[in-house]
Amino acid sequence: MQANRRELFGAMLAVAAAARMNGADDGVTIPGKRPMIVHNDRPEDLETPLQYFDSYLTPVDAFFVRQHLPRPAAIDPAAHRVAITGMVSKPVELSLDDLRKLPQFTVTATLECTGNGRAFYSPKLPGIQWGRGAVGNAEWRGPKLSDVLKLAGVDPQAEFLEIDGADTGLLATPDFVRSMPMRKALHPATLLALSMNRETPQIHGFPVRLIVPGWDGTSWVKWVTRLTPAAKETSGFFMNPGYRYPKFALPPGTPARPAELEVIEGMPVKSTITAPADQGKLPIGALSIRGFAWAGENQIERVEISTDGGSRWQDAELPSAKLPFAWRLWRFPWRPTAPGYYTILSRATDSAGRVQPFVPAWNPSGYLWNGIDRIGVTVEAA
Amino acid sequence: MKLILILWACSIAAYALAADQATIDRGQKEEGRACLPCHSLRLIHSQRLSRAAWNKELDKMAGWGTKMQDRDALVEYLVTNFGDDKPVSPPAMSADGAGKK
Repeated sequence: MQANRRELFGAMLAVAAAARMNGADDGVTIPGKRPMIVHNDRPEDLETPLQYFDSYLTPVDAFFVRQHLPRPAAIDPAAHRVAITGMVSKPVELSLDDLRKLPQFTVTATLECTGNGRAFYSPKLPGIQWGRGAVGNAEWRGPKLSDVLKLAGVDPQAEFLEIDGADTGLLATPDFVRSMPMRKALHPATLLALSMNRETPQIHGFPVRLIVPGWDGTSWVKWVTRLTPAAKETSGFFMNPGYRYPKFALPPGTPARPAELEVIEGMPVKSTITAPADQGKLPIGALSIRGFAWAGENQIERVEISTDGGSRWQDAELPSAKLPFAWRLWRFPWRPTAPGYYTILSRATDSAGRVQPFVPAWNPSGYLWNGIDRIGVTVEAA
Repeated sequence: MKLILILWACSIAAYALAADQATIDRGQKEEGRACLPCHSLRLIHSQRLSRAAWNKELDKMAGWGTKMQDRDALVEYLVTNFGDDKPVSPPAMSADGAGKK
């Protein structure tokens, strides 16, 4: 008993020391969120713990958050305006009521942080050390961006759309301004969303957020205030050098070649194992391996599972609809016949024939990790 | 004579270690002064980077307006505590805020 107390006290000291080292200002609570993995609480960079991923739509209170800059002050929806400027015949300022008067559409789309899985790259990279949970699937609703832009009459010579939101950087931190090619801006699934799963959470960019289905999260600008058709891509930090990917793969650990970095468009094919828990213990019997898979603008064709470290592969069941933009849930009924440690892998294939690699290309910003997912579990005799 | 030499070497080593600790302590103060105005320290403490990579991050932050008074000490503090040879700390979890506005 005495020894146990000593151990307990030692453990408490270790936890307190670890908390100090983590900069934990004890008891950070994010209003509107269940307990989340906190990479940064000011501004909020929150990862979804895998055990919350048990539904097709990710609930808002469990949805990951990535902020580049501090959140803007509370926005009065009645006073909020979206200005359309630049290469247009009639610059306008639109209220939320103006946006609500346009035909409303719902798109189910998977939103993934460009750096999701950065922690798995070796050598390690600067940036938020996301694991598997900087991703979520939601129903986004609002007018098509193309219908919104029609109100201002876009010059057909405009090649790009520049988008700015209400957030601003501290000190000399650059503003978060993004560009996308006009062909994606005018795509019928690209929305100026007014809600997410029928809610309007400010932490996720509402009252109005850009939805760019099939493209990585950095394009999905929050708290949109300005849309500017332009001849050229905007040149700010968050377009260059930020959020670029090497045109030609680099040896791991080597510096970027700036002239060979390209803007990221779309997302790779990927699957994630959400259950059972990595390194967990399971009683022998009928078990279920579950997860989700997504492929940017493509559809998920197939998910294969191996329970023996990759020797043999079998198809998982895909109960959810095969759609572009949205993930598909998958499940694999598994009945191990012997106790022991099992290495479980998942590998997705998309409608364009892309297959998840064993080793994703290391890149100097740690973007687009899509390696075959892997967990280990111990099956115990009954 | 040998003993004196050993004692002398030990005192030098102890002084060097103490100096290092003093630098690291200064670095930690600099972290609070220079970094905290814009973001929480978790963003720093969750990373494990080489000296070169930490220097590159500090260059970026200087470009974004961070005024550093004791940058050398800050680098020593970062490399000592959050170098790429250090184990990754377990993830921090927030408390339950669901249902709160």
